[in-house]
Amino acid sequence: MTTPVASPPAAAVPTRRRFTVAEYYAMADIGILSENDRVELLDGDVIVMPPIGDWHAASVKLFNNTILPSLQGRAIVAVQDPVRLGDDSQPQPDIMLLQWRDDFYRNGHPAPGDVLLLIEVADSSVEFDRTVKLTAYARAEIPELWIVARAERRIEAYTEPAGNEYATVRYFGPGETVAPQAFPDITMAVDRIIGD
Amino acid sequence: MTTTTAASAPPTISAPARRRFTVAEYYAMAYAGILSENDRVELLAGDLIVMPPIGDWHAARVNLFTNLLPPRLEGRAIVSIQNPTRLDNASEPQPDVLLLQWRDDFYGSGHPGPADVLLLIEVSDTALDFDRNVKLPLYALAGIPEVWIVNRPSRCIEAYTEPSGNEYATVRYFGPGETVAPQAFPDITLAVDRIIGE
Repeated sequence: MTTPVASPPAAAVPTRRRFTVAEYYAMADIGILSENDRVELLDGDVIVMPPIGDWHAASVKLFNNTILPSLQGRAIVAVQDPVRLGDDSQPQPDIMLLQWRDDFYRNGHPAPGDVLLLIEVADSSVEFDRTVKLTAYARAEIPELWIVARAERRIEAYTEPAGNEYATVRYFGPGETVAPQAFPDITMAVDRIIGD
Repeated sequence: MTTTTAASAPPTISAPARRRFTVAEYYAMAYAGILSENDRVELLAGDLIVMPPIGDWHAARVNLFTNLLPPRLEGRAIVSIQNPTRLDNASEPQPDVLLLQWRDDFYGSGHPGPADVLLLIEVSDTALDFDRNVKLPLYALAGIPEVWIVNRPSRCIEAYTEPSGNEYATVRYFGPGETVAPQAFPDITLAVDRIIGE
């Protein structure tokens, strides 16, 4: 005689199906997602990013063009390229400073251990950046995150990842300068980054 | 000399949003092996929702409908158990029970749509809030004429009729000692006590 096994006291509720990075790529292979879709995989959710506005695009270009010359040979600047945070997250941050590699990461997207600084330029998406993305970056132990907050006209520099958060945040406002912790010599004027 | 005015992108943009999927994309995921037939998923408003494992009480309620209804509805309505209904391009749930317009082909040429549904039943224990807050509005929007939620915690049947926008204009509650019947088949009366069980 077998003893009937009671179902667990059903505490379970319907939940959204999350996807892995492998499934995310499969969606691209079969045409559900295309290279032209502005999507990122975050915590297993495929997130559609809004169109890039003028101010956002200008800030990204400014970083790209002003940081690059002083970092030659020391770090690679990646603009809106993927970083694989884990099995269920592959965002495309606005800017990353990566460990220098002569192959430019041709054989695999950079992983969290390759990232020296990650920058998100935030106008309308600032809440999303401070919650969903910041949490994902902290968990992956990205050592430093800057959020360029247009509304507050400041740069928020998060360091010391601890669990889902960063233990330290410093704010840099108008008239101040900011530098990556990995490259204290690369100072930038906040006014210039924030622009008009 | 002519000057052109630079076209300026709109300064305010919407925030990041979860990608929603269509029914066609949902099927493509199944063909590609991202989803399998064994996955308990439903497409609801473009989100793939994983349904929790079916508990004892839930399964018994569904089995009761499965076995009691067909003999009394033979030739008048098809009883469809945990099968899909396509509400629109972004929603294809698998309700616990559907009474469908009779069709000799048993819908072999396409899943039933909202106009084919006479009554839709969801058996709810832990998923009660989800059934009321997520599924019910979609059923109303699709124009499903009648929905029953078999409410375990309150030991009653909630009968929603007259879909209007994303809600139902009328809800009636049937409790212990009472009987309930589909509005499409007033002669098919069922005892609430028997439906709810222990």
